[in-house]
Amino acid sequence: MSEQPTVTLTIDGKALSAHKGTTVYQAATRAGIEIPIFCYHDRMPPLGACRMCLVKVEKQPKLQTSCTLEAADGMVVYTDTPEVKAGQEAILEFLLINHPLDCPICDKGGECPLQDQTYKFGPGRSRFVEAKRDFAKPVSLGPALVLDRERCILCWRCVRFGEIIAGDDALKGFERGFSSEINTPFTLPVQSKFIGNTIAICPVGALTAKSYRFISRPWDNRPVQSTCTLCGVGCAVEFDVRGERITRTRAREHPAVNDIWLCDLGFFGHAFVDHTDRLRRPLMRREGGFVETTWDEALSQIASRLGRTSGPRVAMLGGARLTNEDAYVATRFFRAVVGTPHLDHRVDARPQSPDLAVSWGMGTAIADLALADCVVLIGCDITETYPVLWLRMKQATERGATIIAVTPKALEIQRFVRWQFLHRSGQGGAVMLALADAVRGTAPREAPQGIDRTALAAAAKALGSASRPVVMIGRTALDAPDGWQMLAASGEMCRKTGTELNVMRGKGNAFGATAAGLLPDVAPGGRALADAASELRQAWGSLTTEAGMTAPEILDAAVAGGLDVLFVIGADLANDVPDRERWRAARARLPFLVVQDAFLTETAQMADVVLPALVAAEKDGTVTSIEGRVQRVRAAVSGPGDARGDWAILAALAARLGKTIAYSGWEEIFNEMRGLIPGLGIDERLPVRHPPLGKPSEPERPASAAGGFPLILIPGEALFDRGVLTSRSPTIADLAGEPWAMLHPDDAGTIDAADGEPVVITSARGSVAVRARISPVVLPGHVFLPRGYDAAPVNTLIDVNEPVTFVQVRALAPAAPS
Amino acid sequence: MNAGNGERGTGNGLSSAARAEIRRLMAQFPEPQSALLDALFVAQEEVGYLSPEAIRGVAEVMDLPESEVTSVASFYHLYHFKPVGAHVIQVCTNLSCALNGCGRILQHLKTRLKIDVGQTTPDRRFTLKTAECLAACELAPMMLIGDDRHGQLTPEKVDAILTRYADGRSPKPEARGP
Amino acid sequence: MPESFLLKYISEPDQADLETYLSRGGYAGLRRALSIAPEAVIDEVDKSGLRGRGGAGFPTGRKWRFIPKDPAITRYLVVNADEGEPGTFKDRTLMEGDPHQLIEGIIISSYAIGARHAFIYLRREFSTARDALTGAIAQARSAGYLGRNILRSGYDLEIVLATGAGAYMAGEETALLESLEGRRAMPRLKPPFYPAVKGLYMQPTAVNNVETLCHVTWIFAKGYQWYKAQGTPILISVSGHVARPGVYEVPLATTIRKVIELAGGVRGGRKFKACFPGGSSSAILPEAYLDTPMDYDALPKVDVPGTMLGSAALIVMDETACMVEIIGRTVEFYRDESCGKCTPCREGTVWLGQVFHRMLHGQGRTEDLDLLSGIAKGMTGTCFCPLGESVPPSLNASLRFFRHEYEHHIRTGRCDVREKYAA
Ligand SMILES: Cc1cc2nc3c(=O)[nH]c(=O)nc-3n(C[C@H](O)[C@H](O)[C@H](O)COP(=O)(O)O)c2cc1C
Ligand code: SF4
Ligand code: FES
Repeated sequence: MSEQPTVTLTIDGKALSAHKGTTVYQAATRAGIEIPIFCYHDRMPPLGACRMCLVKVEKQPKLQTSCTLEAADGMVVYTDTPEVKAGQEAILEFLLINHPLDCPICDKGGECPLQDQTYKFGPGRSRFVEAKRDFAKPVSLGPALVLDRERCILCWRCVRFGEIIAGDDALKGFERGFSSEINTPFTLPVQSKFIGNTIAICPVGALTAKSYRFISRPWDNRPVQSTCTLCGVGCAVEFDVRGERITRTRAREHPAVNDIWLCDLGFFGHAFVDHTDRLRRPLMRREGGFVETTWDEALSQIASRLGRTSGPRVAMLGGARLTNEDAYVATRFFRAVVGTPHLDHRVDARPQSPDLAVSWGMGTAIADLALADCVVLIGCDITETYPVLWLRMKQATERGATIIAVTPKALEIQRFVRWQFLHRSGQGGAVMLALADAVRGTAPREAPQGIDRTALAAAAKALGSASRPVVMIGRTALDAPDGWQMLAASGEMCRKTGTELNVMRGKGNAFGATAAGLLPDVAPGGRALADAASELRQAWGSLTTEAGMTAPEILDAAVAGGLDVLFVIGADLANDVPDRERWRAARARLPFLVVQDAFLTETAQMADVVLPALVAAEKDGTVTSIEGRVQRVRAAVSGPGDARGDWAILAALAARLGKTIAYSGWEEIFNEMRGLIPGLGIDERLPVRHPPLGKPSEPERPASAAGGFPLILIPGEALFDRGVLTSRSPTIADLAGEPWAMLHPDDAGTIDAADGEPVVITSARGSVAVRARISPVVLPGHVFLPRGYDAAPVNTLIDVNEPVTFVQVRALAPAAPS
Repeated sequence: MNAGNGERGTGNGLSSAARAEIRRLMAQFPEPQSALLDALFVAQEEVGYLSPEAIRGVAEVMDLPESEVTSVASFYHLYHFKPVGAHVIQVCTNLSCALNGCGRILQHLKTRLKIDVGQTTPDRRFTLKTAECLAACELAPMMLIGDDRHGQLTPEKVDAILTRYADGRSPKPEARGP
Repeated sequence: MPESFLLKYISEPDQADLETYLSRGGYAGLRRALSIAPEAVIDEVDKSGLRGRGGAGFPTGRKWRFIPKDPAITRYLVVNADEGEPGTFKDRTLMEGDPHQLIEGIIISSYAIGARHAFIYLRREFSTARDALTGAIAQARSAGYLGRNILRSGYDLEIVLATGAGAYMAGEETALLESLEGRRAMPRLKPPFYPAVKGLYMQPTAVNNVETLCHVTWIFAKGYQWYKAQGTPILISVSGHVARPGVYEVPLATTIRKVIELAGGVRGGRKFKACFPGGSSSAILPEAYLDTPMDYDALPKVDVPGTMLGSAALIVMDETACMVEIIGRTVEFYRDESCGKCTPCREGTVWLGQVFHRMLHGQGRTEDLDLLSGIAKGMTGTCFCPLGESVPPSLNASLRFFRHEYEHHIRTGRCDVREKYAA
């Protein structure tokens, strides 16, 4: 490694050396010399707009802005001469003439750089006698954000965040000069998944969170360091807690994960924690309804039911909302106490799909995404599924990286996508084969329908010549009718380019559940059951080391009457499984259903016993992210009523069954796991083990449209939805809005549907009512319907025996002729 | 929205001719966003002002965020975000014109048109605006009506000029009203 | 009246026509330039001593030399035809009257720096110039002066005409580039990069004023020795209280007094009071300075800080001008044209505007004079770009030379100048 060249300069008489390219501001800050700033933010290039950071440089006639000035050899800088002071005072005075100084009622009070700087560097008096700039009082910019233009000091941080960091151009400057204001076009709700970050970096109280307005002062908050578990990226967060309530979530810096950012699901998604719907006591079914009961009674009942059956007639589904320790104890409980191998957290997997054949997760490190020179997104809607990863990719695009997308719906980030191959359902495999062929240098076998050959060749060329390519395959591809083919072609393409395939699948702590062994066919740590058998026996006593049934097989077994008891832990099968009808059939034949959850989900409503569980923000322990990183969660609040942690519930149940699962706390469990799971350590990454990819079966030729159902359903993801947790976080529920589906304008025209108007989507199986969104981001003949809206469950439309779901869309109120 | 001109209908305020013109402008530049200012004039000329739909249309054709297009448009003085009259009068009020009595001319226009600066006559014929130096100081005091320059103004001369426009004998084809 | 070159055919009605332009010797300079190496073209411009006429007066040849010569690097020429400095109207005059003169200069200059694309950023309000240039470009193109393989030299050039949309700020070269890239006309940070290194689309770019490029045409039509022998012509836009406002072509360093005389003297036999020698961005000068030569070096040397040749726009004011009103109007101009990027310019101009408004409406306070200079001080040397820095010079000069007018306004709430000359 070559030495980075350094320069030597003097600041306030101190001789300093700094790397070449460092600014005077940075050099001073590193030496502990404080220079006030507003517009400069260290994650963005300097702007030099606020002019607060003035310094005096010897031999330069004018004061200089230290944030833009590169440190040079022999430079002599002063930060506190009377001239500098006068300059800074002048700037502060200018900033304050139009600032309302409503600090006592401003949410930023107490953590406001403007307040602090004024105190430290301000003139302490004002000569301003004129009327201040006047804007209509705070305006709402959608469910999350409130803008108070009077307080804005036009530092442009928020605007530049949207341009440089998020690429969503959500907030912009309008008008100019003294009329300049930050806003959205026509003050419409802000379109962003990252707006919380602008609240965090606004140096005044101009941008505030609706959910935090007038809630708390910084000194009343107790910060609790934890990890966000809402999507799987595992961003480092800090919950601010006041009393028994999380008042807000803030980003914690983690250079390898989220840097200093979060997405809005992370910022505003915590509110469900103290929702009044939380389960507080165990419930038991009695005479058709539920009654509250004691833990003692609930556990006895479950124990007695378990006592009347044999291990293999019991199964467990769920686990993605558990901590690593919970999941591990669950594995132990079911394999060693109950004696069943039928456990699986992949409740949303389609039977027979490649979902079940691949390990979920990323081999590529999150931080390395920023260094990629070519990113291929295959059926992977990155901003809807793992939003913070996009921020890294955005950095890569700034460096010139090429993004290639093979998806049935154009991505929200399409402006940054160099080649978007928008394909028909069932054609993704063909596109991938052609792309893989082209990378290999052979001419594409056949140009898939509607796909441009030259574009394919150009994309393949970019990929082939990339030295740091990143390939991601997502759920839309794996669940597609030609999912096996997509997977095989993607794998082939990765082999050709010498990179690995990242399987962008699994939410919450799905990765921890995998690592902890909540799978039918592997032991904790991903080892073969047979290999781990003796160690497990040593730790747990006798257990079953057979391979059990996968989640879809468990449902089949239930439908066939092969199960006596099903445990559902931290999952809402009614909404999560791909085919709701199968779940109904399964439930109908199940003699006994136990649900352990934080809310009375649809699934819980069908249970025989419901056990109230804590959520991640109420637990101590660890979780594992999509890149396999193990991180701490900490109990920010203690949880409602008698709700208990999941592993504690299972330990108590084990005791009823006469077995001992005794741990003093999460650390003890974690230590035990370390013995069984190679590589497990706090902030370490567990490897994602990819089994050899299965052979592609013959691509299933999608059946043709059946009479009356002319359109193809594409189920997909939306970051903001209304599921069990999100519908109970008001900001997220509002951001999600009512259930919706996306139609091509041609199809909308045929059925006379108008944008935003209600439509009914019907398949041979069932129907859902949603609002139409009309856009050419989907191809004609397709309807995109996001999962995750409990009020319009996609799985009511789907029959998993059919590779393709055909639907009909009807406008409820035909659009008025325009 | 706009009476009397044929083809429109994509619901975003831009005809396919306008879209084609914007695409032509984009093709002139190594980076298509360079055509934005000119494209906004295409939209403004077609719709009469930059309605949200017109802006959306430009954003769509140019594949730019609507927020960016609106933000850019709002920076410049020559875009209208509200409907304007058939003739936009811009009276220069900068130094040379001020020294030559533009105040009197402006006052005269206000009285005669019975509107204030920034307003449009009820018959939607004239919109009155002030302008910074229009680089025609040798003609001070001066004004532009639409694209036409009128200089060495006196109240009498203003009257004569206005009559010409009011009579519909303006040298240019009339801009469309909203 | 000295002989003029740039303006020679400006009032000839057919000068915009290519045939006529050719018959008067047009495009001969281009032929000569294309016959020598680009480097030699730059040399000749260097030797001519040409300095930019846009306002900063930077030596044109030197600016071009900053542009890398590597043929693999795309370079651009951008023509600053946004003429917005109050009092300036020479560029418009040149473009309307003699568009080929500019086109020829653009081709020679593009050749010199190796640009294959030149962009004219034209003020939107210049519709006559727009038509003239559009016509001239089309004619030049079909006659082989533009496009591929110009005059069989192997050199290719396209000229694209783009228009602004109403922003004085867009005349500043980096804001112009932003605007030409389709964004808000906000100035870019410089240093570290100047347009010559990272300009349009982050490629090396020469930004040159219309008049500057017209000079290039003449330098090549007649040779730099001849050009220098003419005493380095410069166009001065004369306006305000003179008998014959207009554009005057004079040798550089003609005194202010002489230029006023050329323009027919102060109108109506009134007494001279003050002038802006270089557009509203230069400090105002009272009578004592009338013998200052109008050139790049002499004006900044006078003892009124912020005096400069600028865009050579001489705005003359006679005794009927109220200085409080004039400076107030200037402040409003900068306030309304400030892009809003930096604090001192954005806030300082509003604050000044408010104080002037009060004073001009009979609500001045004694402290206001100190306040005005205090605000001006806060804006001096702290702004991001020269726009904000243009405000203090005239304000300070007026407070120095015409303090009594301010005091009168404050004391009486009335304007003695207006009262005296109200007629
Ligand atoms: C606020 C501001 C406005 C300007 N306006 C113009 C203008 O309208 N026309 C112009 O040619 N130069 C203008 N300039 C100067 C340009 O920045 C630049 O110096 C000039 O275009 C360079 O061309 P030249 O070297 O040929 O003079 C302006 C500068 C500033 C700071
Ligand atoms: S809203 Fe806040 S972050 Fe945005 S420009 Fe204003 S002060 Fe800066
Ligand atoms: S922090 Fe340096 S100018 Fe704003």
